[in-house]
Amino acid sequence: MSAVNGQPELVVDGFPPQRRRWVQIATGADHKDIGRVMVVAALGFLFMALVELLLMRLQLAIPENTFLAPVTFNRMLSLYGATAIFLFAIPLALGILYYVAPLQIGARGTALPRLGQLGMWLYLAGATVLYTGFLYTPSEAGVNPLPPLSGIAFLPNNGVDAWCAATGLATLGFVLIAIDLVATLRTLRAPGMAWRRLPVFSWAAAICSWLLVVIGPVMLAAITMLLIDRNFDGIFFAGDAGGSPLLWEHLSWIFLSGAYALILIFALAAIAEIVSALARRPLAGRSVVICSLAAIAVLCTLAWMQNMLTAPIGIGWMYFAMTMALALIVPFGLVFFNLIATLIGGAVQMRAPLLFAAGAIVSISIGLAAEIEHSMVAAAWQLNNTVDASAATHFALVGGGVFGGFAALYWWFPKMTGRTMGESLARISFWTMAIGMLATFVPLFLAGGLEGEVIDAYKYFAGEGVSTYNLISSIGAFVLAAGILMTLVNAILSRGGGAEAGHDPWGGDSLEWFALSPPEPHNFDLLPDVRSARPLRDIREAIRHRTARAEARARESQTVA
Amino acid sequence: MAPHSPGTDQIETLLWIGFVAAAIVVVAVVVGLVYALRRYRAQRGAEPRHLADSRRVQFRVGATLTVFAAAILVLSIVFTDRAREKAPTGTAGLQVAHSEPLQIAVTGQQWLWRYDYPNEAFSYYKLVVPVDTAVELNLVSTDVIHTWNVPDLAGKADAVPGKTNHLFFRADEEGSYFGRAATLSGQAYAAMRAEVEVVSPQTYETFLEQRKNEIQAAQDRVVGLVEGGEAP
Repeated sequence: MSAVNGQPELVVDGFPPQRRRWVQIATGADHKDIGRVMVVAALGFLFMALVELLLMRLQLAIPENTFLAPVTFNRMLSLYGATAIFLFAIPLALGILYYVAPLQIGARGTALPRLGQLGMWLYLAGATVLYTGFLYTPSEAGVNPLPPLSGIAFLPNNGVDAWCAATGLATLGFVLIAIDLVATLRTLRAPGMAWRRLPVFSWAAAICSWLLVVIGPVMLAAITMLLIDRNFDGIFFAGDAGGSPLLWEHLSWIFLSGAYALILIFALAAIAEIVSALARRPLAGRSVVICSLAAIAVLCTLAWMQNMLTAPIGIGWMYFAMTMALALIVPFGLVFFNLIATLIGGAVQMRAPLLFAAGAIVSISIGLAAEIEHSMVAAAWQLNNTVDASAATHFALVGGGVFGGFAALYWWFPKMTGRTMGESLARISFWTMAIGMLATFVPLFLAGGLEGEVIDAYKYFAGEGVSTYNLISSIGAFVLAAGILMTLVNAILSRGGGAEAGHDPWGGDSLEWFALSPPEPHNFDLLPDVRSARPLRDIREAIRHRTARAEARARESQTVA
Repeated sequence: MAPHSPGTDQIETLLWIGFVAAAIVVVAVVVGLVYALRRYRAQRGAEPRHLADSRRVQFRVGATLTVFAAAILVLSIVFTDRAREKAPTGTAGLQVAHSEPLQIAVTGQQWLWRYDYPNEAFSYYKLVVPVDTAVELNLVSTDVIHTWNVPDLAGKADAVPGKTNHLFFRADEEGSYFGRAATLSGQAYAAMRAEVEVVSPQTYETFLEQRKNEIQAAQDRVVGLVEGGEAP
């Protein structure tokens, strides 16, 4: 704007100069750019996690294999755990929630956009630290680096420090993004978008954000203590000097149990949106599903000691953990029931997102069902830390993070890019993944449940009766990886070459489908008044109604003429 | 796995109960989902049925799930309490004063188990216990966290530095039982194994006496060397 000759006048300088795309992404604080960066980065780290998983499965393909040295195996294991949880599953869930929820509530941006931007950069910084740590000395302390093993006395190189810095930076980033989401959902809902009308996925955004605000600082505290113990002679986790290694177990399992809930809540809420839209009817038991998702967040976090049933913690604590874990049967059961009840009686269109959603439901239910047994105290004494536990966790989290994450990706990819992902490649990818999933992890149920094969070990012995199970599992892992790669390739190819999607490819009911694909930086030119939980359906009805009336009037005027 | 202790018998039963519960869950979800997806695949122009959403149905489903969860909880507590019961030493076992369980201190260290017997004898790697005798293991660790795991005789228990954990079993048959440590403890973790040899009470007494004499002889030899000025 400028004033010419001192006279006030309105001058249009044309559009502001377009900044380069990468400058825009790096310095702008658009929740859609941030969300997309996180989704792309998370999918990249899914690829890295797969490479690490395959290397470990190669080592475990035959008994007493020497393909990887023990120390290399432990490094792969540590890297795999951190990558899969902190760099893939949580950021993928959070990235999609952060992209979609503001659109769903009819916001033109987020409430604290710079906080979200900082969160993205902290996550990327954490990822960089973890993978540059890989170049010198990565952590050898396993998926959850339990002290004293992760202490300076047993792992004196900086691998564990790098692990702490990486997961700490990423966790801090997630908490900041969560704070932005909480504030956005609180303050920036469109006129008429009451909480009771909020889409299930936006409810999931609120629940997951609050969850992260609670559990994130717990993990950050634990990581800080571990860094103090390692570098400044702290004694937080030193059992013989006034601290306790069990403290780390409590704190880290609170976070990891909460993160487990977060991934499943994200997946189930995305599935709820997909199921309802592709069955052409509203979600059955909407409020029951929302309450159940909130209950899952609370109960799952409170069940953290379910992971510590062999530790010296006292039987009362064990029964408490079991009660919380078994109580989860009710909310999870209600969510599954309502998802299926929505499909029954619907006009179901079997598109790619629904296929992956169905796969996620099956996979998650297998994982959770197995987890029932891991919650039953005496049964857990036998099953704890066997590969049966590994299989249960993978069924639930690959079900939520990969199958559920891919369902969400196929669902919102048209919104993010304006293009639809290829349907036939999606089908091939899905069935390959489904076969791979069963072949990889069902044998581990048997090896762990029947033969008691222990977790995290770099080798097993020929006489232990687990050789066949492990060979099948290793072959299955390659099939699973091939299936996952097909969807990643599908995403890359479809980004430029997919079919044009239009603003509402699925006939959705929530407001993100009211915006353009991809949405303008300000999301919406015009916001509708929200009158129900299905605002876009209201708009479609209103248009149909008006068109019909206009046509009727036109006909009337013709007869008169 | 084949249970060889009263505790693991109970655990075995509970494992089967858990398996049935898990199977019910998986079958219910998969059958419901596959039925819904196959039966209600949209024909051209099909309209969805109106959703009759009733509170009563939600309440019934919730109540059913609550009963299911409560049943599992009760059964788990019952069998866990039974598994924790300390069965007294049988007639064929070693008779200890006051019928207390035989106390053995177990120390985990990278990557070996050390067992300290009541008469100050100790052994590494292999634990020798008398058959039909109540045995209580008191587990600690000198370095990192290890998990003692011999599935046929008992559940797992973590050996943690600074805090004692307890395991209890009564082996019903002579023989050797094997297991592998179950918490990642560093480079040689996969090679850290445990063996329990269950023998008759007489053999056990002989073994202890022999171990004690051997240890005494070794210590005497060191003392002799020090006194003779050959060792510092």
